[in-house]
This record gives sequence, structure tokens and C-alpha cells, in this order.
Amino acid sequence: MLSRVADTLYWMSRYIERAEDITRILTVNFNSLLDSRVQDSEDSWRRIIDITGDGPLFAEQFDEFNAKTVSGFLLWHPSNPNAVTACIKLARENARSVREQISSEMWEHLNRLYFLVRDIKQEIGARGPYDFFDQIRHGSQAFQGITNETMTHGEAYEFIQLGKHLERADKTVRIIDVKYSSVNNLREGPEVSLQLLAMLRSCSAFEAFRKSPNSQLHPARVTEFLLLSQEFPRAVSYCLKRALRSVNLISGDPASPRQLLSPQRALGRVCSELGYLEINELLNHNMHPYLDSLLYRLNGVGDEIGSTYFNTQLILPPQTTAKQHAQQQQ
Amino acid sequence: MTEQPSSAHPSLMDRYEVSDFFDEMFLPTGEPREHYRLLHARLADMAAEAFNERRANADVSFLYQGITFTVYSQKAEGIERIFPFDLIPRIIPASEWALVERGLTQRVTALNQFLFDIYHDQRILKDKIIAPELVFNAKHFRREMMGVTVPKNIYAHVIGTDLVRDDKGNYFVLEDNLRSPSGVSYMLENRQAMKRTFNTLFHSYGVRAIEHYPQELLNTLRSVAPHDNPDPVVVLLTPGIYNSAYFEHAFLARQMGIEIVEGRDLVAHDNRVYTRTTKGLQPVDVIYRRIDDDFLDPLSFDSTSMLGCAGLFNAWRAGNVTLANAIGTGVADDKAVYAYVPDMIRYYLGEEPILQNVPTYLAINDKERDFMINNLDSLVVKSVNESGGYGMLVGPHASQKERETFRDLIVSNPRNFIAQPIVRLSRHPTYLDGQLYGCHIDLRPYILCGEKITLVPGGLTRVALRAGSLVVNSSQGGGSKDTWVLND
Repeated sequence: MLSRVADTLYWMSRYIERAEDITRILTVNFNSLLDSRVQDSEDSWRRIIDITGDGPLFAEQFDEFNAKTVSGFLLWHPSNPNAVTACIKLARENARSVREQISSEMWEHLNRLYFLVRDIKQEIGARGPYDFFDQIRHGSQAFQGITNETMTHGEAYEFIQLGKHLERADKTVRIIDVKYSSVNNLREGPEVSLQLLAMLRSCSAFEAFRKSPNSQLHPARVTEFLLLSQEFPRAVSYCLKRALRSVNLISGDPASPRQLLSPQRALGRVCSELGYLEINELLNHNMHPYLDSLLYRLNGVGDEIGSTYFNTQLILPPQTTAKQHAQQQQ
Repeated sequence: MTEQPSSAHPSLMDRYEVSDFFDEMFLPTGEPREHYRLLHARLADMAAEAFNERRANADVSFLYQGITFTVYSQKAEGIERIFPFDLIPRIIPASEWALVERGLTQRVTALNQFLFDIYHDQRILKDKIIAPELVFNAKHFRREMMGVTVPKNIYAHVIGTDLVRDDKGNYFVLEDNLRSPSGVSYMLENRQAMKRTFNTLFHSYGVRAIEHYPQELLNTLRSVAPHDNPDPVVVLLTPGIYNSAYFEHAFLARQMGIEIVEGRDLVAHDNRVYTRTTKGLQPVDVIYRRIDDDFLDPLSFDSTSMLGCAGLFNAWRAGNVTLANAIGTGVADDKAVYAYVPDMIRYYLGEEPILQNVPTYLAINDKERDFMINNLDSLVVKSVNESGGYGMLVGPHASQKERETFRDLIVSNPRNFIAQPIVRLSRHPTYLDGQLYGCHIDLRPYILCGEKITLVPGGLTRVALRAGSLVVNSSQGGGSKDTWVLND
């Protein structure tokens, strides 16, 4: 398919997932902050900004970390290009320019979601934040469902899945990173459980976690589940495995390792590593550096996808000799 | 005069007035013409409310499907409008259509020969049939095309010729459109709407099908592939979603099963054209382009254009890709050149034209210019290169000031203007504000020129939706009707 179209679908999908994930983070933290002590709340709000990585941007606009400033920044503030409203607006713009590729149900649904968030400040004022967060989340989840059921599961569909899963993996790693470090600094007590619960609920993973073997509410177990589960759809390992499957469906399984495309190689490596990782290796001081480097590598995967599928350099067409072809693919 | 309705409730036909224009449905006596009898009886028998309900349903289904175009004149950003559709079809008997088809086939043959000639030996200029300045000063004459070979010597593959009828019912050619004639998607969608709304009537009439247009277009495009490639890759090149006709571009691409691309999806390398895909560069053989010549290639034409592909023109000159329509066809679009088409038919084919032109005065001829200036109140003056009803003066409807403005324009730039007498265009019963009025119509058949010349029966009938208006273009408040060419 046309590179431009694949690029547009991929980013449409990433933006929708991003909007949903930010809403999840806010929902859960609004909730948990009601339980915490007042002195801690400023700290907790700061950590939410840490999850998104937009600390410096936030600091330019706001002096304080509280419910109003943080949710405003993350939901609609014009200075934040990753705000929920900005993400949905961009997703819709992308969808509009490739309307031929998506089903009319997908377009209508996304269009409606856009109009929902467009006048967000008033919405929040009128009904309080929870209703609004729910609507975003449901809107995104419905979009996934509609996509699944009304689009042929071909190349276009796989680019949408690829964007979604990479974005989801990225956000989940960030949630784990920030929550784990805050939990690790706490002494044993109810606060730990509350934080771990928040971590799980951000990923809609609480019930699934409880059903999994060995499910004590302990930092190692929770982190292990969210990072390494190959079956829970929001776990990092699952997402990356699914992303690799998308790439293989798009480009075909290579006949030999020499023919691997760079996204296949990069994703394959990360999936293998996570597949054989033991959580104990990462506990305490090792967690943050590892997750940080994982984020870096996921960014790299994104770059490889861009240069392989979207921004093709002048690669000579297949009539050239195999030797030349291999050189170009570097 | 109208017939009395056969049923008790009021029908739309009750208050319809036939005037002294040629009415497509009614004879001057007030009786319906033979080929309209069935339709007339149906309408006379139908309560106004029933008709209105069907009309509303058709409108809603157009809205729902998003069959729109963008109007630029109203707001800076342009708004999407549903192209108004009138439910009452225009009916053409088989014998009438046979004449039109022969006339148009003759005309486009001559036009393509003309284009070949002026970009090669220019015999028609040397034999003094047409003044050379007329051709060389034409806005869309492309010197870059001199000596270039095109597959099968065909330059214009898709032509939309506008036909009108005078008050005696004679068909005249109003103009030829050889660059990017649009409207064929409305023709196809109108037919779908009519089949849904009046299916029994449609069936009783025996109407010739038109749904094969996209397939015929595809066949035409494939037949002109470079190097006689039997299995060429065909794409449709669009300016993008913000173009007023984008709906049609996407519609046709879908119907033909070909890729729709923008300039930025194309790359020219080694004089070949490729699309940029997720599997690398894929070669392209035929480009059905809906972008003006000027914007196609920043290396050869307008260097600020972001819509085209650098190097496309060279690939074409090298014979490695075919553009449909070719670059440079617009010279025959020029309304002053139009005046010479009957001469072209005689010159290239040795035949008398089957279809006549509307009498046309050229401002570059002194005597004709004087005539124009002294008779602005009874003529239609047109800029030679505008379309969409812009740049036009309708003498009798214009103010003194407007006429004076045009007088000055004509004198300062005579090459740019032609004038024609007002054609008393035929009228057709059309639904407006709860009632049927006679509204002026024209007809745009679409002619495909490939290995052979193909016309789908009928074409787009455009109707002026303002009572008394002569302007039928979509951008200025026109609408359309389905066109039924009968089987016998």
C-alpha cells in the first residue's frame, strides 16, 4: 500500500491509544489520590507528569502540581501537543485524509469522539472528570472493536494494530517505571497496596492479575505481570509480540536472517529478551535503568518502522541484482 | 396548458406552465411528447406529497453517502455541498441519441487529429484554416509537447462535450472540455437513485445502461499503456482531499479498482515513474490525472507546485508512462479554437459536421469585435479559458455597468473573449419549492477515446435550479438529472 497511507493509519492509531492511555492514568490517580494524605498529593501529581515525560513542558506553564493543573495540562491545554484533545484531533485529521481506507463506521465514530472532546472544558465543569474519562476510554475501546469488525484484516489493518501496540507498550512501560519507583520508596503498609492497585487499574489489569498464578499484591509480582505476561493484552511483552506479528504479516516472514527488515530485527530482539527475562534481575536499582533503555529501544523501533515503510529512500526496484538489493536494505 | 390529472388529489403537473421555449416533455400544444407519455401519466397520477416524500428520501440517501462537492466562492475555506439532484429524468429517444453519438464520435476524432497535427507538422496552420496566433497564444498550448509521441496518437482520452438545444429542439455543441471533465460520478449516482426511487417506471421504459462507464474508462486507459503493455499498472492522480471534485476522483478509482495517488506518492527515477509503497517503489504505467497541466511537474511547469511529481514530464517524453489526458489538450478547450471545430472536421475527415456549433464571434477579428461591442445587451460574452460559469456576461441580464466593464475588457484583451447569441435553451419540468417549473438544461455526454471511441448513453443532464437562470454549473447553484436513453 502507499507509504503515505500506511503512515497516516499508523499514527491515527497511535494517537487514539495515546489519548486512551492518558485518560487511564488520570482516572486511576484521581481515584487513588482521594485516599492519600494531603502532603503526598503534590508529589503524586508530579509523578503523573513524569509518566508522560512532559515535565519540562509542564514547568513552562504551571508552578504547582495539583488536580486542576495536571488534568488541565494532560487533557486540553494548548501548550501540550500530547494532550488528550490534541491527540484525538490529530487522529481524526489523519482518518479524514485516508477515509477511503477505513470503514464509514470507523470514521463516523471517530468524528463523534472528536466533537465530544472539542468543548472539553465545559464538559469537565458540568459533569466532573470521571464521566469524561469514561467517555474517552469507551470511545477508544469502541473504536478498536469497530475496527476489528468492519475492516478487512489486511495490510492496512495491521498498520493500525502496529501503531496501537507500540504506543500501548510505551505507555505501560512508563506507568511501571514511575509507579514502581514510588512503591519501592515506601515502607511496608497499606500505601504500597494502594499504589500497586493503582498501577494495575491504570492498565485495566486488576482482575486479570488476580486470576493469574502467584498473584500476591507485591511489587515484583505486579511488575512481572505487566511487563512480561504474554497473554494479557495490555502487558508490554504481549504488545511487542503482537507488534512483531503485524510486521511479519506486512512484510512476510523472512526466509533467512539476512533478509530481516530492520523493524523485524529490532522487535524480534526485544521480544526474545523479554521472553527470557526473570523479574528478579530487575528488582530494586535495576528496574529504572532497564525500563529507561527499553523505552529508548522502542523509540528506535518506531524509527525503523518509519524509515522502512514510510520514508523510503530511493531503493532501486526489484529488477536490480540481489547484491545491490541487500546493500540498500541496511 | 397542462393536461387534467386523472385522479382527484392535486398533482405536481397541475400548475406546470409550458412557455415558448422548447420544452423537453411537452409539445407546444400541451400534450406530452411520445417518449414522455409514460412518465407524464405517472407524475400526473402521483399526489404532490407522495412525490415530495420520494424526493426527500433521495436527498437523504445522497447526504448519507456524502456525494458532495466543494464550493469555493462562498467562504474562504470552501464548504461541502450535496449536489442537488432532481428526480424527474430527462428522456432521449434512441434515434435522437444515435445522431448525437455519431456527431460526437466525428467531433472527437477530428479533435484528436487536430491535437496531433498542431504538435507535429501543423498542416492546418500552414493551409491557413486557422490563424497560427490563435493556437500559439492559447493559454494551454504547450510548446514542450512539440514533436512528442503519444500512444496511438491519442491526446484526449476523456472528453466531456456540452450540448444544448435551441427553441426548435436542434442540438448544438456549446463547448468541448478536454482537460479534466468532471461530473461522471454524479451521472452514475443519479442512476442509482432513480432505480431506487422509480424502479417500476424505469423498468417499463427500457433504459440503456450506463453502469459500465468505469470499466470502459479503465479499458481505455489500459489500451494506451506504453510499449503496448498488456497488463499495465494504472493509477488516478488527484490533487487531494481539499479539491472540489475529490469525491469523484475517489469514486472512480474505487469503481475501477485502481490506486488513487497524490503527487507526493510518486517518484520519477531514471525516466520512469513509481509509487512509494510499503514494499518499496512500484512502477506505474498509466496515470489518469485530474490535475491541471501547470501543476503536474515542478521541473517542467509551475515550479511552486506541490501537487505534482518532479520528473514526470521527462518520463512521459521518454515514453515510459502515459498521461490521460495528455498535456496540452487544453488548446482545444479554448473557446476561440472551439469556433473552428467544424472546419477541423472538414479538414481532417472530409465530412460535414453532424453536430453544429453555436454561432461564435471572436473578438480578435475586427468586424466581429465591433459587432460584439455594439450588441452586448443581446449576446453572451465568455472568457476563452474560464469554466464553471465564471468570467461570463449574460447581456440581457447584466447591468449597464457590467456591460461597460466587459466592453473595456474586450477591447484591452480581445484574444481572451468570444461572444455567442443567447441560445434559448430547452427547458425541462423540474421540482422547485413545492412545484414543477420549466428549468433550463444542458447535456454533457462523456466520450472515451482509446483503441476505439466509446460513449455511454446519455451523460449528465445539468439543470439551472433558479427559475429563469441559464447557468447550470454545480459551483453556481445548478443541479442534475438522470438521463434516460431509450432502447428503441
